[in-house]
Amino acid sequence: MPNPVKLFYMSVWRNLLTMTRYKANFVFEILSSFLFGFGMIIFAVAFDVNLLSNMVGSTNYVAFIIIGISFQSWQGTALWGSANMFQGELSTGQIDYRFSCPFSRYWYIASNIAASALQSTLFFIPMFCVALYFTSSTLTSLGVFLGLLATLLTVAVMAQLGAVLASLVLKYRQTTAIFSFFNFAFQMLTGMFVPFQLLPTPLQIVGYCLPITFGMDLVRHHVMGTLPIMSVTYEWIGLVLQLIVYAIIAKLAVMYLEKSGKEQGLHYL
Amino acid sequence: MEPPVLCEDLVKVYNSRKAKVTALDNLNLTVKEGEVFGLLGPNGAGKTTLVRILATLLKATSGHAEVGGFDVDKQENKVRQIIGYAGQDSERSAYWRLTVRENLLFFAHALRDIPIKISKERIEEIAEGVGFNDRLDRHFIALSGGEKQLVTVMRAILHNPQVCFLDEPSKSLDPMTSRRVRTFLKKYAQEHEMTLIITTHNMLEAEEVCDRLALINHGKLRFTGTPAEFKKRVTSKETLEIGTNNLSKELELNLLALSGVRDITHDVNIRLYCDDAFEVLPEVVELLKNSGLKVPVRMVEPSLEDAFAFFVENAKMR
Repeated sequence: MPNPVKLFYMSVWRNLLTMTRYKANFVFEILSSFLFGFGMIIFAVAFDVNLLSNMVGSTNYVAFIIIGISFQSWQGTALWGSANMFQGELSTGQIDYRFSCPFSRYWYIASNIAASALQSTLFFIPMFCVALYFTSSTLTSLGVFLGLLATLLTVAVMAQLGAVLASLVLKYRQTTAIFSFFNFAFQMLTGMFVPFQLLPTPLQIVGYCLPITFGMDLVRHHVMGTLPIMSVTYEWIGLVLQLIVYAIIAKLAVMYLEKSGKEQGLHYL
Repeated sequence: MEPPVLCEDLVKVYNSRKAKVTALDNLNLTVKEGEVFGLLGPNGAGKTTLVRILATLLKATSGHAEVGGFDVDKQENKVRQIIGYAGQDSERSAYWRLTVRENLLFFAHALRDIPIKISKERIEEIAEGVGFNDRLDRHFIALSGGEKQLVTVMRAILHNPQVCFLDEPSKSLDPMTSRRVRTFLKKYAQEHEMTLIITTHNMLEAEEVCDRLALINHGKLRFTGTPAEFKKRVTSKETLEIGTNNLSKELELNLLALSGVRDITHDVNIRLYCDDAFEVLPEVVELLKNSGLKVPVRMVEPSLEDAFAFFVENAKMR
């Protein structure tokens, strides 16, 4: 029986082969990531430094927004990566062969998301480095380590959400609008662009359920020294709990939706 | 020993808001070990549905199906371990930007758990068998439709499956490649004791490769037997071929009304199936002449295609 690790590294190998085969495009993607990191400084001028200071305990609006933006790399992986892969496989008929092979559907999706996430890292790192450059006054080795650990956990939670969204494709075939909905929620309700503390309480409750909120807040706290939205310990626990809950939901969703997809056939009708 | 494929009262109904379509209707079928088994039938007959159920891609509405002794519904992972599968959507069924070799390596190692070294050897071996080794390093996107088809066939047998399902494997192949592939598949199946189930519209392929055939029409099994037995259903009737396919309805009815004429089929020419063609011939010529038609009429040996047309057009068992 194929194992997920093998599927993961073969998927990484496949993605890297595909990416690096078109060298000019690959180089410019990395460059764009740097550029995007610096480009975000433009938006930062619109920040009210006093308000930011009151809300998050830091006036480093540049790093605040760049860290937020860098998380978008993972957002794409979780929301579109695996679901787009499934949609592509459904429309091209690839899914038939894949699903006639003996492996867990959940691990198939998770391995592909992991490979895709690793690919996204290439575009996360330049932006994250730009953010670190602007946080040099508050930066510590432990801070970087904990920031990266929080990022890793966040990506793992996002991957579970990605698996749920990918499995939705098996039943509902066309799910672009669902992605857009989550995309909006991720951008507006997690503190990506504006401090989470500014959101009204009902929206904050929704934000607590989204995987990025705690992860991004922990990264900002450990790297920039911002005030966390709740106790740091609770945020770590929240992130781990999210991983467990989303993983269970993802496993059940994949199982149920594959069964459901098999009623009508795993292809566009 | 369990048969490689067993279907008992298999039913598949596709439910949509607008209609219910019965794709398989109480189908019973047994395929023997090591057999090359052909599934024939017109478009929409239910062949692909059957193959997809057996390949664990589709759930039957009712009935029971086993592959290699494993229940396709309850033991699907065990079934997946022993099967190979190539579907009809082969044109885009691999990674476009990877080469054929890279694609096959990914599928063999990542999805079939074959060690990389063995995967590489098997890719070479199979590619040589189907005459593809000179194109292994071409990008999938750069291949012709037939070549892509061939890649999916190669992929289906890479891991030496016990039972392999090929859904119209020669659909886009040129005659020479088609011949090479069917010769290879037949030999490969024999050497590796693989049971091969192919759906096809290519009667030559069915005749040359298949040990036994099943004809499915409107989801029902109409016939199972060897290609020779299949043809015999028609050859027991002698055949007259009229060199046109454009007869008036009235003339067709008159021909059918002749004593000893059993059936009529339409293709490039019209074929009459008779008890004694020699006896009927003068009357047929007379009728055509009276209608002002000057077309050749000859006695012919029926082909597998005639047998197919005979079954499908009449849609009933003889």
